[in-house]
Amino acid sequence: MRNIPIRILLTLSWINLYGSDHWAFQPITKPTLPLVRNKDWPMNGIDHFILAKLEKRGIPAPKPAEESVLQRRLSFDLTGLPPRGATKETSLLQQVEVLLASPHYGERWGRHWLDVARYADSNGLDENAAHANAWRYRDYVVQSFNEDKPFNQFLTEQIAGDLLPDNGNLDLRNKNLIATGFLSMGPKVLAEPDMVKLEMDIIDEQIDTLGQAFLGLTLGCARCHEHKFDPVTLEDYYALAGIFKSTTTMESLKRPTRWKENSIASPGETKLAEKHNTLVEAQNNLITAFRDKENQVLLNSGKFKKLPKKPNLHYPETIRKKLEKLLVDLKTLEESKPKLDSAMGVSDGKVTNLPVLHRGEPDLAGNVQARGFLSVLNIPNAKVPDENSSGRLELANWMASPKNPLTARVIVNRVWHWHFGKGLVPTPDNFGLLGDSPSHPELLDWLAAKFIEGGWSIKKLHRLILDSATWQMSSSAQSETVKRDPHNKFYSRAPIRRIEAEAIRDTLLLISGRIDTSLGGSTWDFENRKLVFNHTSKDSTSYNINRRSLYLPVIRNHVYDLFQLFDFPDPNIMKGNRSRTTTSQQALYLMNSSLVIETARKLAVDNAGNVSTKGIDRLYNQIFQRSAKEKEMEVGRSFMEAFTVNASPQERFQALAQCLICSNEFIFLK
Amino acid sequence: MNDLIRNNELMLTRRLLFGRTALGLGTAAMAGLMNRGNQVLGANLNGGIHHKAKAKRVIYLFMSGGPSHLDLWDYKPKMQQMYGKDLPKEVRDGQRITGMTSRQKTLPVCPSKYKFTRQENNADGVWVSELLPHTATVTKELCVVHTAFTEAINHDPAITYIQSGSQIPGRPSLGAWLSYGLGSMNENLPSYVVMHARSRHAEQSLFGRLWGSGFMPSQHQGVLLRSQGDPVLYLNNPAGVTREDRRAQIDALSALNKAQHKRFADPSVLARIKQHEMAYRMQSSVPELMDLGKEPESTFELYGNDAKTPGTFAACCLNARRLAERGVRNIQIFHRGWDAHGNLAGEHGNQCKDIDQGSAALIKDLKERGMLEDTLVVWGGEFGRTPYCQGRLGKDNYGRDHHPRCFSIWMAGGGVKPGITYGQTDDYGYNIADVDGNMLKPQPDKDKWTPGTMHIHDLNATILHQLGIDHKQLTYRYQGRDFRLTDVHGHVVKDILM
Repeated sequence: MRNIPIRILLTLSWINLYGSDHWAFQPITKPTLPLVRNKDWPMNGIDHFILAKLEKRGIPAPKPAEESVLQRRLSFDLTGLPPRGATKETSLLQQVEVLLASPHYGERWGRHWLDVARYADSNGLDENAAHANAWRYRDYVVQSFNEDKPFNQFLTEQIAGDLLPDNGNLDLRNKNLIATGFLSMGPKVLAEPDMVKLEMDIIDEQIDTLGQAFLGLTLGCARCHEHKFDPVTLEDYYALAGIFKSTTTMESLKRPTRWKENSIASPGETKLAEKHNTLVEAQNNLITAFRDKENQVLLNSGKFKKLPKKPNLHYPETIRKKLEKLLVDLKTLEESKPKLDSAMGVSDGKVTNLPVLHRGEPDLAGNVQARGFLSVLNIPNAKVPDENSSGRLELANWMASPKNPLTARVIVNRVWHWHFGKGLVPTPDNFGLLGDSPSHPELLDWLAAKFIEGGWSIKKLHRLILDSATWQMSSSAQSETVKRDPHNKFYSRAPIRRIEAEAIRDTLLLISGRIDTSLGGSTWDFENRKLVFNHTSKDSTSYNINRRSLYLPVIRNHVYDLFQLFDFPDPNIMKGNRSRTTTSQQALYLMNSSLVIETARKLAVDNAGNVSTKGIDRLYNQIFQRSAKEKEMEVGRSFMEAFTVNASPQERFQALAQCLICSNEFIFLK
Repeated sequence: MNDLIRNNELMLTRRLLFGRTALGLGTAAMAGLMNRGNQVLGANLNGGIHHKAKAKRVIYLFMSGGPSHLDLWDYKPKMQQMYGKDLPKEVRDGQRITGMTSRQKTLPVCPSKYKFTRQENNADGVWVSELLPHTATVTKELCVVHTAFTEAINHDPAITYIQSGSQIPGRPSLGAWLSYGLGSMNENLPSYVVMHARSRHAEQSLFGRLWGSGFMPSQHQGVLLRSQGDPVLYLNNPAGVTREDRRAQIDALSALNKAQHKRFADPSVLARIKQHEMAYRMQSSVPELMDLGKEPESTFELYGNDAKTPGTFAACCLNARRLAERGVRNIQIFHRGWDAHGNLAGEHGNQCKDIDQGSAALIKDLKERGMLEDTLVVWGGEFGRTPYCQGRLGKDNYGRDHHPRCFSIWMAGGGVKPGITYGQTDDYGYNIADVDGNMLKPQPDKDKWTPGTMHIHDLNATILHQLGIDHKQLTYRYQGRDFRLTDVHGHVVKDILM
């Protein structure tokens, strides 16, 4: 944080006094739509804000994109897959509805949230233990997006699901318990011998993640010192830390350390398991009684002064056989114990208020701080934690309050970011003083206000954005536009975006007819808590399934190579904006990986190596979802003709198919 | 605006404006500097960006797991008198102990079973263990630092810390910082190459984070050069596809992309065309690199016959020299298995056999070729090992636990003073000490530095310094914050520089 730019140094002196004046801490108001000269351009409110700025800078009003471009953009945007069979008769808005209703929508947008939730199927760090139940949280997130769960409810469930009423509804209770997996998903130093440090590190990770994820604030800094830039005090930090100290995330902080998992079994299953336990116990008692009796017989026989070390060796043959049978039965019973489903998550622990620790050192404890929230975001009448519970529910309510100026702005900005590849606030995880200012502050507020009015519905927000001229504009621009808005800061043209790792793989599987689009569930057969990847540096995880990429295991410290190559985020930390890089290793992947080669081969077989222009046109439709232009057919034909003397028609066709997959049009969205 | 997009744009702008400079291909940090207008580009900085560079490249021999300074470099004869006795409390002085020995009733002092000999260097000589006979022949080139230290006590945080400046994952690695700061000197090979050397005790996993780019764009991450299968993932054409086929495909692709470019008027699209060409070139440059056929027999006399077997440490060292010759700026070899908790005699013996001749050969080879003066070679692990025994203490075998308070590393070439030692530890090799043996308790502190010590931030600051980078000025803005490799810490240890 340091190496402070001069801009910041100049402002540092007044931050502590006036930090609360920062734009992001001000109440959300709903600005009126700005006036624009070009009355025909705007399709909805969003466009007024965008056009007003364009006009102010003399940037020409952007042109709309072609329909086929929009179809492709829309389909990837909402489902992460290319368009399939959308007919020209259906309007774009109808297509929006179809896609929003598709279960693939939740897979796409759930994955966005999983980036923020640092989702992983293993713990990482020294002891990379399997999170074999993490997928339940993943499915919960996907389902929440598909159901269009109000975002304030989504937030509350993840922070305090275990404390919500369920009226005896088992499914609801389980969902709420699974939701709290958000708090437990972070990497933990399971090898840490110092229990106090281990616990405080986990609490810190929770506070830092939820601060960035929901509030756009880096609260972790305040563990050791007053936040250097944001008005977050040490007292604020320990008020929050007390809430998580009063929460149980770990079942055991002692070696062997274990994270907590909540049982999500039905009462019937639990009862069955309990009954089974009594059977095991009864069998154990039986064996003990049997041994005691036979031992007494041994002693009474007078052959031994005291009981020999292994008395069973001295039992008569028949008795030994009887004992063996009893032991075998016990083993069978133990092995047939019904497995109870469980999910990573938290529960309330002993209610505790923490002392402020200067520099984060337990030796430098100051005054005890009552559990509470951030003083800079004072929400009138917010209920504060009491002595009866950890205070997570109060925290969640405080965060999800329509009066909290950050929560709605942060999520609205994230959704915008995921639609446009950049946020109105370019630093989606940091709305603090060091974050970038919004390019269109009024638009951000207008969207946030609409979002709250609309009951925190993400799908309504999508409709609003997708039905705007802003989202529907073309990516090509006149030179005048480029001159006046070189970095496209003002939305003078649609951004060109590379599709993500998951979309690349899913599309290749789809166009080669291999994809398995079944939904949800665990795809990874691995024993819970077993080390995935340790000592040997060998990871036996197989990625050899044709399910959508969302369902491939995310192994910390050893992310799947395709994902690594194409900017999948480091699952150790939350990340709201993925990088988008271009490297030569990506090129090698597209040239030589079996995924791409097999896709090209399937396409060639599918087209029976039809080197005619008709075959080329079909190939264009399969890969780019558009017809080939005359010129392109010509280029394709001459390429195939010239390609290697001895190649079969199918091989020529395969080579062309691969060229198209490697080309920019496949990997970029216009 | 989005940091990454901005960065890419800056880089591209610089490329478009200046084409290829003496520095080679794009250096992202340079673009930022130039915008600030406070630096002059050119050969007078010898590749550096803040001041004249002494080293053009780094070869970092990383001993993963924590080699025992007490059995290799830090000679402590007085420990013999304390054999088997409990380590005095005042020596331990409240140091945290790992979960592995915290339940031991005693911490018996465990002197090294190995014989040390005093080797000549350019100062008062240096003690070297019998485990390193080859390295002992190049002590006139080495600067042996006895006072490296860290705070981390477990492997993962410690190795993440020394490699990225933070114990918490998510930051770019040293190599990524160098790639970001200095760019590449070669159009046919990546600027940061990582190798994993084979080890007989391959414990402690290695993972991408250690050479990753963290929050920087992934073009700065290390490229793993593998000894089995494709040397670079997906490098080789599938069976039946010839180089001519590939050329034809890439030409067609190029034509397609150029036609599309009119419709994709975007710098990242242009960059992508270049990356396909680079990939194509790597398909021949990497096999050429890996082909040792033209190396004379004398090379294998120097590096040992092991160097003929791909994946051995010696082979990696030879590759490192070949990479250095071909303009790769940043080369890192990871060798695992130094985590000797129970069977140090068995394991360290083998470990040293793995690395000794190759390390020494690399120094000699670079020296002979006149490359040592501008190549910085670094040897070391993430922490040291305890002077007390873990598990059973025997005369012939013992174990040692992790020890962060002091450990030994060496540096050579690249403007580092040759043939010296730096700093000293107490009679147990437990604490850093002053010349009179009094305990020093150095802390990483942005304002104060304790002479004679080298915190891992100091090490990283010093490495950057030799490459012409001021560690305080090389920053990367992410989520509104300017990050540095050395966080707020780090002091260049000028005492060891020429």
